[in-house]
Amino acid sequence: MILFVRISKLSIALLASGALCLNAAEAPKRVDIKQLSKKVDDVVVPLPNEVFGALNKLGGVNWHEYVRNDKGSNFTERPRIALLLGAVIADGFIAVQAEDAPTVKEIGQRVLNLAKGIGVGNSITPHAKAITEAADKRNWVGVRQELDRTQNSVQQAMNEVHDEKLSQLVSLGGWLRGTEVLTAVVNKRYSEEGSELLHQPDLLVYFENKLQAMPEFNLKLLNDIHTALIEVKPLIDVGDAHISAASVKKINDITTRLGDAIIKKTP
Amino acid sequence: MTTFLKLAWRVSLVTALAFAFAPEGRASVDDAQSFALQAAEPYVKEGFQVREDYWGGDLAAGEKKAVRQQLFKGNEYWFWLGTEVEAAKVSVHIYDSEGKLVEQPDSWQKGHFAAAHIMPKSTGSYFIIVEIEQSPEERTHWALVYGFR
Repeated sequence: MILFVRISKLSIALLASGALCLNAAEAPKRVDIKQLSKKVDDVVVPLPNEVFGALNKLGGVNWHEYVRNDKGSNFTERPRIALLLGAVIADGFIAVQAEDAPTVKEIGQRVLNLAKGIGVGNSITPHAKAITEAADKRNWVGVRQELDRTQNSVQQAMNEVHDEKLSQLVSLGGWLRGTEVLTAVVNKRYSEEGSELLHQPDLLVYFENKLQAMPEFNLKLLNDIHTALIEVKPLIDVGDAHISAASVKKINDITTRLGDAIIKKTP
Repeated sequence: MTTFLKLAWRVSLVTALAFAFAPEGRASVDDAQSFALQAAEPYVKEGFQVREDYWGGDLAAGEKKAVRQQLFKGNEYWFWLGTEVEAAKVSVHIYDSEGKLVEQPDSWQKGHFAAAHIMPKSTGSYFIIVEIEQSPEERTHWALVYGFR
């Protein structure tokens, strides 16, 4: 009974907060960001579909062109599996943009297999099933939600066993694949609005710092990604200026090369 | 089942479990998250996709915390803050990288819930500043979730 009373109280509070569009409390119009710097958490890594959504609003994207059917190699190194897992989840968001149900279902299975390879398969099984069911119903909102849940569950499972670095590599793999597609789209039909979506300098710094803190993995691919991020940074950290078409092309070349290296076994 | 119903079910379940099994005084950031999700619930019907991930911790009354967030021009974002301490008063506000308040005027604050709304004028880093303005507790759990469309 007490439980129901409490839930009812919560519902009333929710309704009150949702129904009333209250004015924002008086907040300082300006704050000193430098003063806050010691209290700032790491930058939050966006989901690939956040940038795809913004890109889509600019119009004219044929998402079918960017759907990738290459399932990638089977790796044994956990950092490589983590990077590939992030990239494959990003591929899932691209397939959703293209409303390509068969590819979405294949990706759901691929994600499950990769998660098993890294020891977190149990947390993914229900999501893989839900992705398939939602794709069958062409419930794209549902698939997007399940892909988000999948990535979150994988990363939570990794964090629980203190594999935070692998969790960061999942984010990095997704970000690289997202950036590869973003630059491919903008490169094809350049616009200043499109290239502005690449203005993500804090994310680059975040990934650079995280990669620097992973010397134990000692993988050439991670070194290559780190070098590439340093190369990309001046191209996107342009302040109020526009990111040029030449820069977009260069970033696309770099991220495409890295994307290929993530999915293929190098000799 | 629609995404909204699924979210509503999840929120109800999380809330019910939190209150059924957590003894008084042993609340956690997960409880705060269930309240942040409650604040988000009405917006799912309006097409906002709420991220699964959330950010949280505990703060003393009067203490602030900032979360740096990459936002994309063209998207619309809501950030929802909640705490399980019903007598607490919390706030959340959005500043750009220069420290200028940039949230929409329909951002709101209601006791232990608060929300901030932004349609970014440019792509880049923003600072989401959360504050426990008042609380009877020494430390108050908070959780921040966000959604976009």
